[in-house]
Amino acid sequence: MRNPGGYARIDQPDCAPVELDTFTCAHCNRVTHVAPRARPQDIGGLCKQCMGLICPACVGGACVPFLKRLEEMEARAQLRGALSCSTAPTA
Amino acid sequence: MAKYAINNSLAGSQQNMASSYKTAVSVFAGATARRGKIYDVLIGTDGTPADNAVDWDISRMTVDGTGSAATPQALDPADAAMAGTSKVNYTAEPTVTAASSLFQVGVNQRASYRWVAAPGSELVYPATANNGLVLRAKSGGYTSTFTGALLVEEQ
Repeated sequence: MRNPGGYARIDQPDCAPVELDTFTCAHCNRVTHVAPRARPQDIGGLCKQCMGLICPACVGGACVPFLKRLEEMEARAQLRGALSCSTAPTA
Repeated sequence: MAKYAINNSLAGSQQNMASSYKTAVSVFAGATARRGKIYDVLIGTDGTPADNAVDWDISRMTVDGTGSAATPQALDPADAAMAGTSKVNYTAEPTVTAASSLFQVGVNQRASYRWVAAPGSELVYPATANNGLVLRAKSGGYTSTFTGALLVEEQ
């Protein structure tokens, strides 16, 4: 890959090390291994909205960048915490 | 942003692999919640060598299980202790979010595997208490101990 998002290496006895580039999906944060000479359509795609590489599972879905999802996760937890801490109504 | 090393030799006793996932290492936000990023993963087995398939996975967790509390080791000794929590060698699995696998690789039991993220491509967990990531493994044939090590950056 021209700009890999990571590097993976498998070492095992009696074999040459296997080295693979990886990228991390811009929508779901999943790591995808890229085999040498893999066809681009086989390893996912490029989101034309956020211009990030995405995994096969996210291809065709809506563009929700992972950082946005992370903020939503945190906001949901804060809301749950706020609701559980609210005082009970008095009679 | 401090960096920490965590592995399952830091606390407790290594558990045996089984046909269902066993968690070697978890890292998750504590009461003082901060985001964290896994940027390096190193995995392998340390039982009697044989040829078996081993399936490794990193998924999101939301509720802790039963494991041994480990103290993440700061890579820079001048850094403060990690605000997040890490547990290793689980005997009761944490609650893992369905279909939340971020990383899955199947390798021979004899192999060791390392993944290093480029800056900006790390595995990130939210600043929400008890939310984090678990490194776990399963095998249909291998039933002995396994090792997992993570390098984590806390924001």
